[in-house]
Amino acid sequence: MTSDTATRPRVLVVDDAATVRMYHTSLLAEGGFQVDEAANGLEAVEAAMTTAYDLFVVDVNMPKMNGYACVEALRSATVGTPAPVVMISTEDRPGDADLAYRAGANLYLVKPVAGDRLVRIAGMLTAQRGVPA
Amino acid sequence: MGLVRKQAPQAPEEVSPEQPAAEALMRQLDDPDPEVRREAALALDGVTEAVHALLIRATVETEPRVRDAVLTTLAVHDTEEVAGALAVHLASDDPGLRTAVAEALATMPRSTPSLIPDLLAAPDHDIRVMTAMVLADLPHPEAKTWLVRMIAEDSHPNVVTAAIDALLPVATSEHADVLEEAVHRFPGDPFLRFTVQTAVSRLVGTA
Amino acid sequence: MATATAGLSDPDFARFCEYFYKRTGIHFTSAKRYFVDKRIETCIRESEYDTFASWFSALRMNDRSSMLQGLINQLTVNETYFLREDYQFDAMLSTVLPGVLADRGGVNRIVGPVKILSLPCSTGEEPYSIALRLLEEWDQIDHVDVEIHGADIDSEVLAKAAQASYGERSLQRVPKSWLNKHFVAAGAGRYQVEDGIRSAVTLHRVNICDTLSMRAFRDFDVIFCRNVLIYFDELSSRRAAENLYGALRPGGYLFLGHSESMSRISPIFTPARLPEGIVYQRPTGAK
Repeated sequence: MTSDTATRPRVLVVDDAATVRMYHTSLLAEGGFQVDEAANGLEAVEAAMTTAYDLFVVDVNMPKMNGYACVEALRSATVGTPAPVVMISTEDRPGDADLAYRAGANLYLVKPVAGDRLVRIAGMLTAQRGVPA
Repeated sequence: MGLVRKQAPQAPEEVSPEQPAAEALMRQLDDPDPEVRREAALALDGVTEAVHALLIRATVETEPRVRDAVLTTLAVHDTEEVAGALAVHLASDDPGLRTAVAEALATMPRSTPSLIPDLLAAPDHDIRVMTAMVLADLPHPEAKTWLVRMIAEDSHPNVVTAAIDALLPVATSEHADVLEEAVHRFPGDPFLRFTVQTAVSRLVGTA
Repeated sequence: MATATAGLSDPDFARFCEYFYKRTGIHFTSAKRYFVDKRIETCIRESEYDTFASWFSALRMNDRSSMLQGLINQLTVNETYFLREDYQFDAMLSTVLPGVLADRGGVNRIVGPVKILSLPCSTGEEPYSIALRLLEEWDQIDHVDVEIHGADIDSEVLAKAAQASYGERSLQRVPKSWLNKHFVAAGAGRYQVEDGIRSAVTLHRVNICDTLSMRAFRDFDVIFCRNVLIYFDELSSRRAAENLYGALRPGGYLFLGHSESMSRISPIFTPARLPEGIVYQRPTGAK
């Protein structure tokens, strides 16, 4: 695989837990993605305003702006990104998946997500957009 | 046209508008206009008799902006009554409410500690995950001890990983053992293994 | 003790940077390592602690204390001078003010003045810089009334702002032609802002965290609040953000310092992307 940074799909990992960001970043980077990080929903929204991402990986429970509100903001007129969103939650409350899809997420997963699965999903979602991993 | 002056004396203006009465502000907490509710909540800063009304508003408020204002005012009342009433919402199905409450509790170092033993024993592991979020930012000397206990004893892997995340910024080499022990307790969790390996290698050389 | 002067270990540096970023939104790369090491050494030396570990632990446990403020003073260059962080004034002229006029019905139908607040205004360089750029560069200044207000908690800096007399260091970025046109020589190499501009800027003493006092500030179109929220603890910065929100008209704009972000403080504003960077808006929907 070539690793020309100009063509590798770019992912934003959004999680308030530094360890989770580090884990997802290392998996996705090994999988051939360029990865940036944001520590809450607001940071993600600001990042998405200045950088074009091919995929967002978003946690649910975060301070300042939680994951659902973040996805709604990413989908709103202010940001308006059509890039796919994967939400990954620590919790498996009934109804959470509904909230995620209603906010505009493409996929809702519950932690822990196996490394190869995350990379495979990221590959599929970005490939649909025509950016090869 | 151009630059205009407001109509005022040369010396810096002292700003001192009149404070509306507390009872009027408390009534405004139920106003249909969210901006009136938001301003009333902020204006009740330091008004002890308004705590009860603010706690009720925190429970029923659906507008995030108003809820943030209510919690900003409430968190200054660092009392067990307020902390206890807020902690109930750590179990809320509304993710906005439960994270906002966790943030507020983390700014209440006098009263939140008294709730921690009960929260650590909560049967719902989601509440224990939120408790780790509170402890991550709570400026209290015991916070580290509670996090270490969660890592060593909690039965749910997501609670343990949340506690590890909260402990790492303050962890030192003396915590390497408890971290490595957690990996043995949950051998099937790749995230836990990765996190502890990375963390322990960084702890070498910290005091 | 000798341990404090040996510089930080790599893991300690990483932990410190993570903490400082979380508290203030200011990020230090390893390129700043030497600078950060030296400034932390100074803080430790001036404290009652003798190792990084004990000092850092005390810092984290005393979130509301003056320790953090001393540290921020060490790690940020808090200098004020004319036309500082000028790109934000560019943004005000090219994007924000045209947006304000459009929102308020256009230049022919706007009712009341466009209101701009500089908070904290310190010794006055910021509000007077705003006035200079409007007078020199805004093509609508002859068609629209503009009120400029400066506010600060410190009465001593306000007295200096009212006097508006500045030395060379403060004026180094002001073009010579502007200096000739809008200042008068005040002796000893100092220049005073001319009366017309000086009297057009209204000064106030106010504490940004005091909701009651801040209620006097209403319907501002643009607020500059640069490099002050980083000094506040969690609750104070949230309250300050709420008070700024209340001082803005719906749709009004808030500029923070270039290394600051509202994302660490409060979700009540909507970020808006301008060619010159991010600015925050009070949403129009939520009245």
